[in-house]
Amino acid sequence: MTIVEICHSIQQTGWATGFRQADLFFPLVEGTHILSLSLSVGLVLMLDVRLLGWGFQSETVSKVMRQVMRWALPGFAIVIVTGVLLFLAQAESVYTNSYFRVKMAMLVLLGVNAAIFQFKYYPEPFMWEKSGTVPAGAKAIAALSLVFWMVVIACGRLMAYEL
Amino acid sequence: MSLEHLWQMSYDSKTIDILRNSKHAIPIIQSFHLFGITLLLSAMVILNFRMLGIGFGEIRLDVLAKPVWKWATAGMLLAMATGFFVFLPDPARYAANKSFLTKMSLLAVAILFQYTLYRRVLRSESSARAPHRRVIVPLLSLFLWFSVGWAGRAIAFLG
Repeated sequence: MTIVEICHSIQQTGWATGFRQADLFFPLVEGTHILSLSLSVGLVLMLDVRLLGWGFQSETVSKVMRQVMRWALPGFAIVIVTGVLLFLAQAESVYTNSYFRVKMAMLVLLGVNAAIFQFKYYPEPFMWEKSGTVPAGAKAIAALSLVFWMVVIACGRLMAYEL
Repeated sequence: MSLEHLWQMSYDSKTIDILRNSKHAIPIIQSFHLFGITLLLSAMVILNFRMLGIGFGEIRLDVLAKPVWKWATAGMLLAMATGFFVFLPDPARYAANKSFLTKMSLLAVAILFQYTLYRRVLRSESSARAPHRRVIVPLLSLFLWFSVGWAGRAIAFLG
C-alpha cells in the first residue's frame, strides 16, 4: 500500500468525513493552529533575537532559552495537535500538495537546525556566554531558524488555497 | 474627492488589477500578513504573561519590554500594510463582511488601548504595582489582540 493510498483511506474514514462536514471544525482548528504560532514560533524568536544580538543582551542565552521553552513547548504541542487534525481531515489532498511537502521539508531542516544548536553549542553555553560573544555558528543557526519559519508559515498559507 | 472615489480609483488602478488577477499575489501578501500577526501576538504573549506573573519572570520587565515593544510595533505595521493590499483588490467584499467590520473596530480599540493606557502602565510597572493593573490591563490586552486575530479568521468562514 502506498502512502497516497493510506492517506486516501484516512480521508475516507467516518471521523475524517465528520471533521470535514462539521461547520466549526476548520474555523476553530485552523484558527487555533494559526494563532498558536505566537505561542511557539513567535517565542522562539526571542532566542533568535538574543543570539543575533538584537536584544536581551544583559541576559544569558541559557536563561532566555529556559524562559522561552516553558511556554514554547506547550505552544508547539497545540500547533502540532491542531496540525495533525487538519492533516487527518483531508489527508490525501494535503499529502499530494506540493506546498505541504516543502513545509514538511522545512520542518525537518528546522529540527536538524535545533539539534545542531542543542548538541554543538548549547551544552556548554557558559564557555561563550561568559565572554559575551555568540559563536558565528550559533548566530547562523538563529538566522536560518528565522528564514525557515517564514517559509513554513508562507507554505501553510499557500497550501490552503489549493485544498 | 470622496472616499468612495478613492476606493474606485484604487480598484481601477493597474497595480491593484494585477494583484486581483494573479493566482499567487494575495496568498503571498497574506503570508507576510501572518508574519506580522505572529510577531505582534507573540510580543503581546511575552509582555502580558510577564505582567501576569505566569512567564518570563527571570527577565526584568524593562529589559524584556524594550525589544519586545519594538517588534510588536513592527509586526503591527507589517500586518496593517499587507492587510491594506489584501483589502484593496476587493473592497466591496470586505465592506459587506461583518467579521471584517468587527475586526477593524476591535483593532482600533486594541491600538488605542495598547499605545495609551497600556504603555503608561507598562512604564510605571516598577513603581506602581496595583493588582488591578497587573491583572486587568494585561488580560484586556491579550483579549483584544487575540479577538482581532479570531475576527480575522472569521472573515473567510462566517462572512
